[in-house]
Amino acid sequence: MKLISAQNLSYKINEKKLFHNLSFEVHSGKGLHIKGGNGSGKSTLLKIILGITSTLKGHIKLDNQDLKISYLGHKNAIKNYLTPSQNLQLLFNGDALIHAFEWLDKLDLFLVQDELTANLSFGQQKKLALIRVLAQPSELIVLDEPFVGLDQDATELLNSFFTTKLSEGAGLILTSHIQPSFECQVIALGKTNA
Amino acid sequence: MLRLIKIESAKLFYKLKSWLGPMLIMILVLTAFPLSIDISKFDLEKFYFSIIVVSLLMTSFLATEGMFEEDFEDGSLEQEFLVEQDFYKLVLSKIFVYVCFIGIPIAFIGAIFSFANGVEIKNFAKVFFLLSLSNLLLFNLFAFGNALSINKGAMLGVLTTLPLALPVIILLGTAIRSIQYGDGFLQIMFLMIGSGFLISAIMPIIISAALKTHID
Repeated sequence: MKLISAQNLSYKINEKKLFHNLSFEVHSGKGLHIKGGNGSGKSTLLKIILGITSTLKGHIKLDNQDLKISYLGHKNAIKNYLTPSQNLQLLFNGDALIHAFEWLDKLDLFLVQDELTANLSFGQQKKLALIRVLAQPSELIVLDEPFVGLDQDATELLNSFFTTKLSEGAGLILTSHIQPSFECQVIALGKTNA
Repeated sequence: MLRLIKIESAKLFYKLKSWLGPMLIMILVLTAFPLSIDISKFDLEKFYFSIIVVSLLMTSFLATEGMFEEDFEDGSLEQEFLVEQDFYKLVLSKIFVYVCFIGIPIAFIGAIFSFANGVEIKNFAKVFFLLSLSNLLLFNLFAFGNALSINKGAMLGVLTTLPLALPVIILLGTAIRSIQYGDGFLQIMFLMIGSGFLISAIMPIIISAALKTHID
């Protein structure tokens, strides 16, 4: 089933073309890996897909307007003045909160759940931010550099999560400098596109 | 909407300096000012209410300083946009929570100190209601300023909206005089309630558009 189709997307910043006439589709159970150097427009493309940023040309079509989307950009969207536990309580409730705490345990954050998030390491903060995506039921997962700052165990856990979600029929779009361990369609932006 | 109010309340509750700071400053200014002048030389009753008004302006200015900045910086605004597709409800909830947690307590403090201005105790409720309404108007205006310059230091934008607060101050002054002289209070009160409803309905739309521009 088609989740998203993009037709002839173009975007430029200060006369610098980031991408031009870019078209692709994302189907359920399939992954899309967006590659490219720094400043090649990977994050911008994700924001265009999500409707946060407007495209200059072309259009994005979501086949189901009620599609459940989970997203984590390069900003963690967590509160540094709260503890991991309080952050999760802000994001989830009921069964989803229990599920979120299970992920907290899996990601080795259980022992630091009552420490201030500001005092956690970069990698621990990234793991906490990822729980937003991991514990939420979603049909499309959109992630900007999800592996940055993660240790080997967390990277493997994340790859395994992606594989499971894809097998369950969710769509996946991610930008990463690291090649994911599962099969996916690749879009190369910027210099790597040449 | 209830979800957003709950989240915003929790966030503000844990940000101690955001709500306690303005209240302490309000108390500090209102107590320090009479102590710093020779009261025997001046008739404090004549101008003390101006100090309450200026303190109210300053503390609401301070309270709204980081209203949207933190959510913009940490990416929470983008997340909220994905859920709601605009920021109207978020802005409405934020202003509501800020008025409840900061605006109303500040108004309460101001109303208590208004006794030093010769306001009779039977008028406490009137003054309190009046100051709360003023805070609602001021918080809406300063939230707009905050949203305007979210990526250039929110204080700058709040400063630019300061002239918009002047009519509120004038209205507040007139209302206080009407309480003191017992004349025309209701008319001014209705004018302020009307302005409050109007601004509270329109300002979130404008602020929402400003925020969308920033994340775009």
